[in-house]
Amino acid sequence: MSDVLAIPALAVAGTDLALEAQAVTASGVALTLEAPASRWSLRARTAQALSGVIGRAVPARIGETLDGIACLGPDEWLADLPAGTALPDGAGQPVSVVDISARGVVIRVEGAGAATVLSSGCPLDLDRFAVGRATRTVFETVEVILWRESATVFRVFVWRSFAPWLWHALKAAERG
Amino acid sequence: MLLIHCPYCEEDRPEVEFVYGGEAHIARPLDPATLSDEEWEHYLYIRRNPRGRHHERWRHTHGCGRFFNAVRDTVSDRFEQTYKAGEPRK
Amino acid sequence: MSGYRLPAGGRVNRAAPLDFTFDGRAHSGFAGDSLASALVASGQMLFGRSFKYHRPRGILGMGTEEPNALVTVDRGGAGPGWGRRTPNLRAPSVPLYQGLTAQSQNRYPSLKFDLGAVNDRLGAFFPAGFYNKTFMWPRSAWEKLYEPAIRRMAGLGASPTERDPDHYDATYAHCEVLVVGGGLAGIDAALAAAADGGRVILIDEQDELGGGALSDQALWGEVADKTMALRRLGNVMVLTRTTAFGYYHQNFVGAVEQLTDHLAPAQASGARERLWRIRAGEVILAQGAIERPLVFDGNDVPGVMLSSAGRALAVRYGVAVGRAVAVMAVHDSGWRDALALKAAGVNVVAVIDLRGEVAADLVAAVRGAGIAVHLGHAVTQVAGRHGVSGVTFAPGGTGQGQQLAVDALLMAGGWTPTVHLWSHAKGSLRWDDTWGAYLPDVAQENCRAVGAGAGAWDMGAGLALGTLPGPKPIWQTKAFVDFQNDVKARDIDLAVREGMRSIEHIKRYTTNGMATDQGKTSNLNGLQIASGSLSKPVTDIGLTTFRPPYTPQTFGALMGHHKDALFQPIRKTVIDGWADARGAVFENVAQWRRARYFPQGGEDMHAAVARECLAVRQQVGMFDASTLGKIEVVGPDAAEFLNRMYTNPWKALAPGRCRYGLLLREDGFITDDGVSARLAPDRFHLTTTTGGAARVLAMMEDYLQTEWSDLDVWLTSTTEQWAVIAVQGPLARAVIAPLVEGIDLAPGAFPHMAIREGTICGVPTRLFRVSFTGELGYEVNVPAEHGRMVWEAIHASGQAHGITPYGTETMHVLRAEKGYVIVGQDTDGTLTPDDAGMAWAVGTKKPDFVGKRSLARPDMSAPGRKQLVGLLTEDPQEVLEEGAQIVADPDQPVPMTMLGHVTSSYHSATLGRSIAMAVIADGRARDGQVIHVPMPGRTIRARVSASTVFYDPQGSRLDV
Ligand SMILES: [Zn+2]
Repeated sequence: MSDVLAIPALAVAGTDLALEAQAVTASGVALTLEAPASRWSLRARTAQALSGVIGRAVPARIGETLDGIACLGPDEWLADLPAGTALPDGAGQPVSVVDISARGVVIRVEGAGAATVLSSGCPLDLDRFAVGRATRTVFETVEVILWRESATVFRVFVWRSFAPWLWHALKAAERG
Repeated sequence: MLLIHCPYCEEDRPEVEFVYGGEAHIARPLDPATLSDEEWEHYLYIRRNPRGRHHERWRHTHGCGRFFNAVRDTVSDRFEQTYKAGEPRK
Repeated sequence: MSGYRLPAGGRVNRAAPLDFTFDGRAHSGFAGDSLASALVASGQMLFGRSFKYHRPRGILGMGTEEPNALVTVDRGGAGPGWGRRTPNLRAPSVPLYQGLTAQSQNRYPSLKFDLGAVNDRLGAFFPAGFYNKTFMWPRSAWEKLYEPAIRRMAGLGASPTERDPDHYDATYAHCEVLVVGGGLAGIDAALAAAADGGRVILIDEQDELGGGALSDQALWGEVADKTMALRRLGNVMVLTRTTAFGYYHQNFVGAVEQLTDHLAPAQASGARERLWRIRAGEVILAQGAIERPLVFDGNDVPGVMLSSAGRALAVRYGVAVGRAVAVMAVHDSGWRDALALKAAGVNVVAVIDLRGEVAADLVAAVRGAGIAVHLGHAVTQVAGRHGVSGVTFAPGGTGQGQQLAVDALLMAGGWTPTVHLWSHAKGSLRWDDTWGAYLPDVAQENCRAVGAGAGAWDMGAGLALGTLPGPKPIWQTKAFVDFQNDVKARDIDLAVREGMRSIEHIKRYTTNGMATDQGKTSNLNGLQIASGSLSKPVTDIGLTTFRPPYTPQTFGALMGHHKDALFQPIRKTVIDGWADARGAVFENVAQWRRARYFPQGGEDMHAAVARECLAVRQQVGMFDASTLGKIEVVGPDAAEFLNRMYTNPWKALAPGRCRYGLLLREDGFITDDGVSARLAPDRFHLTTTTGGAARVLAMMEDYLQTEWSDLDVWLTSTTEQWAVIAVQGPLARAVIAPLVEGIDLAPGAFPHMAIREGTICGVPTRLFRVSFTGELGYEVNVPAEHGRMVWEAIHASGQAHGITPYGTETMHVLRAEKGYVIVGQDTDGTLTPDDAGMAWAVGTKKPDFVGKRSLARPDMSAPGRKQLVGLLTEDPQEVLEEGAQIVADPDQPVPMTMLGHVTSSYHSATLGRSIAMAVIADGRARDGQVIHVPMPGRTIRARVSASTVFYDPQGSRLDV
């Protein structure tokens, strides 16, 4: 065990940050750890090329989302599909279909102050971040993908090992 | 913190999403074996480091992930413009 | 009321008395007081000792500009070793709360009797440039004599030694208009901006809006009405106790909001401060102006202060600055202040003005208030040391002096618009004769200045002087310019006489403006004095650069979230909790926390590692390798891409097989390595070093996107998709066999350096048969969510075979016994494949790969290069220190010629002796030679082994 210094009540305590199923931020916004789902990193030169291989429509503009698929870059999409959903692997095709279901988790940030809580560490202007939009960005030093589901719900995709830090940083946010 | 216009995302984004990539428009020689030691040294190590207009590479690492080129004034630290990789020098 | 509290008036709440202590003495004040106003109210004029001469000092100003009254506030700890002690706080900016505990600084043994004040008597020995000159004295004298004495005597508050128990909040904010400064100009600007409907943020450093208007009772109603109007608007956010400390590119403004420091510690909860990172469409600077002191002999005696300070004390706090007060003015504002003080009930006895003529209405009003008027006069002397006991003033400063019995003297030297933030954002300035100061001119950002800070406020008329005229020559006066750094007018004059011409040189030579107040009260006076000494207009002298922070900020606020447990993400694998529960000792590798070894029954690291190593060599061990970087490379051109990136050939690698890959930078030096598998013709599973994962992915993306964008191949980080369990040792197959389905584990069907896909414990696996130990081994890759379950299943299955969990230290020993390199430990960015003894990994027939051309440069094969070799100490129990230097001849004089250094060194339980690797010039040619490792007090002899492989050189243990 590493030495854990006694940290007074005011500070975020302990070096063993752990994820919880649910929490409420210091500002009263709900955090929920979403259940596992079927998630894929999809790559192709064009939306049409990808669409043809996986048999699903995909958004063509960066930032747009469509039926669980977000366009993150000119040749990159994130698919967030119900658990158990399989996709063709595109063997031999000029595409890349990679299962990343276990790579990360999704933290659901829900409440009137959701955007404000995320603004504690995310430099984007989230007041102006449209519902239905998704993008890769950062929360302080941690890379995340933000997906705005509604005016009061953001979903935050984060790699597994960064999730406890992010969870507790969000939980500590006092505005929101 | 600067705002940088990503030519792929087509919007201004905060600098912390980006990583600097050194001087732009230095293409890797197609057949390095044909280069003299001096030519190879020049490709590897010699940079313009201008005072003023500088063509440089950035990558929107924590965004769309793309490398692109920018013209930035090294004195004022202002971006004049950014453009997609592969486009001619502006 | 006793002391100096006026019977009525002020914005303090007289129904809410507050107790506090200063230097251990009990005082009381009211809610709404600052520490400074409460102390003055109780008769305390002496606040501290000056930096260099230890002169007694009172307050100079009542705002952010205050240079003198710096105090340490102790808000108590939270247990032993924890403390909330903040030095160098400006007493006028410390809001009073019940139980506040403050101490004065820079005095020994007490504020009233201070030994360091002898420096003041020796002032002739501490002229401008003292430090520069002192450095030229004998060095030994500086080190032994002067520096210790100066350090003890000089300085401000002491840094806290306790840990800070508080936490700090941080946030980004976005708005269409940001207004900095909540005086009336700022309030009006915010109201106007809000009418456009956009988001408006108004920030002000004080605890209530109003700024200078708080010192003008006639404006209180307007401030209250407009503050109410602002608070009613849904699109305006008002932040008080918030200081904009820096203004950066593209309207990015940093500010710190104080959340708890104004509350009694028991009432404080939540974060202490919040860092605001604000991006604004437009910035409106309404920072107001700061009054300038007058420079004359004795202007630093406690009780001599800015006229605006006397006014704030009287009007805002209901405190008389003295029993009998005089005003020394060269500006109309001093006359207005005299009237305001008088109206508040302060006994103002005289207004002295150097000007022969002053607006008739002011003169009439002051005379009408019963205050004596002395036009064309200047104060020439101040009596008293710990407080003013009287002043002498004379016509033109040089004529026959008269004495006046006063206990406070207010200085009205004119106003300096606050252009700090304007200048941070590279806005240009122009000199304005009316103000005698620089005003904002052309903005570089979408920014404008309003109010007094823009020169657009009626402050009255006045002179802009360097020094007041006086009877003595400048070098005989103690007329202070920079109160915090103890810079006198004569120091600036001396700097000019010693050849300094630019204000930047004068600043550094005299330290004028270099204290924590950044010259808020001294810059302009310093410029004027230099201008006089050089006989050049002020505009030819230049202006020093304003830099963030506007006022000092705590490290905590700047760190924001990144403190204590949230200091930085500590990445843990899904198996970390199992290791933690088993008492593993951890080490940090990049951002990862990794189990280093698993001590049992009080074992030390040596014993635990020896046991773990022997278990792997003799039975079987298991190791969490999940932190290895992983990249999925997919697309028709995947093999072509890897062939260009890595030194060795990849195109012919059959699906189902693995290959060790060595990655160079374009300069030919090793940057990473790892074993990768071909899963399908167009799909590879790459591994990288733990620390190299992000760097390698970025490097590969760079080549792919910018050099070879014609290739149809894509890279996806899968580091965290897979948990990786290394099962290593002669019994490894027996351990996993009962758990694996769909994979034939027989050696012929599944040889070393192969990969198979199937299931383990019912979940999908990519099963690698690879080894970083030299033993039969597997690396079980399973989706991370199943990692812990599979780990535990393997551990259970292994019980019958004596399975032993091992950590990174054992992994290091095992691989070193086999001579396997760790990139970043045995290599340092200057080793070629040949230097590292890995020429075998370079595909010499390949026309090109990253770094190939560099390997052909003459230096890369020149003799004398350092090569990685093995080292065996002559004493087998001697374990060399990693990093130790190596020499050929231990008897040569220092500095010795170094041949290289030890890169890896361990005790090998398997071999019963120590082993090491080292990089040594021409190392392989020294095979069998003795080299020497000089250590403190002794030299260790060791023999070079051209081969780094100490165990099973034939590799027969892999082939089972
Ligand atoms: Zn982008």
